[in-house]
Amino acid sequence: MSDVTIRIEGLWKRYGLPVPELVRKSVLAAKKIFGSKNDFLNETWALRDINLEVRKGETLGIVGRNGAGKSTLLKVLAGVTAPTHGKVEIFGRIFPMIELNAGLHMELTGRENVRLLGAVMGLAKDEIEEKLPGIEDFCELGSWFDQPVRMYSSGMLGRLGFGVAVNIQSDVVLIDETFAVGDLKFQNKSLARVKEMRESGATILLVSHSLETLQFVAKRGILLEQGQLISDGTSLEAINAYEKLVFRSEQQRLEHRVRNRISSEDVYIYNARLFDENGESIKEVISGEPFGIEVDLHLNRALEKPMFSMGLLNAAGILCKWNISEEDGLEASGEPNRYILKIWYPENRLANGAYEAHFATRDATSFETLERIAGIVSFAVVGPKRARGIVAGTCEWRLTPVLEGDTPNGKPAIG
Amino acid sequence: MSGTTQFIKSSYINVSPRSRKRSQFATVLRALVIRDVTSRYRRSSLGMWWAFLQPLILMLLFNMLRGFVNIPSDGIPYILFSYSGLLPWTFFTNSVAACGPSIITNAEIIKKIALPREVFPLAAVTATLFDFVMSGIVMAILMIYYAVPIGWALLWIPALVILMGAASFAVGILIAGLGTFRKDFIFATPFLTQAWLFITPVIYPLSSVPEKWQSIYMLNPMVGVIEGFRSVLLKAQTPAFEPLALSALTTALLLGLSWPVFRKLSGYFADVL
Repeated sequence: MSDVTIRIEGLWKRYGLPVPELVRKSVLAAKKIFGSKNDFLNETWALRDINLEVRKGETLGIVGRNGAGKSTLLKVLAGVTAPTHGKVEIFGRIFPMIELNAGLHMELTGRENVRLLGAVMGLAKDEIEEKLPGIEDFCELGSWFDQPVRMYSSGMLGRLGFGVAVNIQSDVVLIDETFAVGDLKFQNKSLARVKEMRESGATILLVSHSLETLQFVAKRGILLEQGQLISDGTSLEAINAYEKLVFRSEQQRLEHRVRNRISSEDVYIYNARLFDENGESIKEVISGEPFGIEVDLHLNRALEKPMFSMGLLNAAGILCKWNISEEDGLEASGEPNRYILKIWYPENRLANGAYEAHFATRDATSFETLERIAGIVSFAVVGPKRARGIVAGTCEWRLTPVLEGDTPNGKPAIG
Repeated sequence: MSGTTQFIKSSYINVSPRSRKRSQFATVLRALVIRDVTSRYRRSSLGMWWAFLQPLILMLLFNMLRGFVNIPSDGIPYILFSYSGLLPWTFFTNSVAACGPSIITNAEIIKKIALPREVFPLAAVTATLFDFVMSGIVMAILMIYYAVPIGWALLWIPALVILMGAASFAVGILIAGLGTFRKDFIFATPFLTQAWLFITPVIYPLSSVPEKWQSIYMLNPMVGVIEGFRSVLLKAQTPAFEPLALSALTTALLLGLSWPVFRKLSGYFADVL
């Protein structure tokens, strides 16, 4: 096991000074007695029981929602903050790029900051001088390189930091949200450099909200949720698990939203659920699989021609699908009775994401609205595909070479 | 929850070449000192003159005080007497004052990169040494003016400077460590040093302290330092053994207490910055 670069065993992290058990207990007891709202004890763990091994040359993407502990994990690895419990071992020189910028001192120029950073990284003076032109070149800051860092934009700071990170030889690189800096050209250059570093045997840990980047850069991925490591696999697996988590929480948010309900006393709605081909209740719809929505309702008065409508809205509130029973050929008379209404979606083209359903009951002859519920059910559509948008489904792609002479001239019409 | 979980004792190990770490410490220390010295007097009109002015003004104040109250000075001209005491004393107060917020002012570095945190208060103390050298020039001029005899005893100066620096560092890191978590310690520092002045022979000589109190009095590490400077600068004599030895002893004890405390606290600096 000599190629292990990072080993984490039973890591727990709580911000602030560790409080001795005795003090902690007595403060808790005092709290119980006096009921004061003292924030002396910080009871929330930023990281809980993390166990992880990263090998030499691995690129590990870390995903998780805000506050899941991604940055904390990097900080502990960087040795910036001490673990509360647990063992952290790192073999090799570590370069932490935390919180985007390398602006160590705002009054110093970019060049001086690079020198200071190099010194902090343990480079000898001539080593730094040797690397400086390369870093200057990489950052593409031009004359800004000799301006005080406090005049920089955040993008420029990020570029400076990134330029240093990829030009100093280190065994472990921790990158936190830095890929989004600069234009596309700079991003591509950065990606290429990260790839070079990976090939030269550096271990790279990367936190980014850009799932696309993560997918291309990282081979392995872990998912953190509330400080716990809940998934460890390929980066695609981690990203899928992450999206599931996000959709689920969006769904919960939709569920907890105050229902916009217009109701006459003519219809009672008892229940609504989502079901699959076997009629089993489900919480999530698999991308591309058919599903149905069932509404358990009671008509309190006779309707000459009841008309139902069901709309599906995504998390952004865009109406993705809306159907009316009449158009789809539901012929029924509405005697006062209890009914089970089933709406089946044989062709599911909903893209991955969270949805809520809006349901309405009307009388087709008077066009009177009897009942309208926003968010009668909510659900998530999940699937392994990377494709995005509102409508799911593959397209056919074909790449054919154009024979010379077919184009009027070589100039591109776009761009 | 904590009742059922068996926690592993916290430890952080980064295995990388040791020599590299030492050179890292030295390079960072140098960079920080240069930064502190060059940026200290930036945006001030008098600039570096403050390094001379501070002890000079205090010296003049003490001389005025002596106009009202009779203060003995062991037969040495009072200007020389007070300035030679103020020289190490201003160093001590300034470096302790600079140590206190040294962690907070370097928050940006501390939040990003793992370094032995001692480097920041140490840089603060070392940068204050620059002011000490500056005010030492004034001392030299005064000594020439008063035609003070000089001798081999001046070779004691490096040792005295190290002792003075160690004492300042010992007090400074304690305040820096605690002050990062509770700013009260930093706010209290000026009062602490003012009170400390009264139990230090800056204004008055050690000889005016009652005989029976002297051995306790000498536990103050600055007593040995200041008395040492006085004897090598003004009397061309090697420092008296007792105050110097006691001073070194208490400095070592103080350092033995404050350094581990600082070490322990330093892992959690990034949490509160």
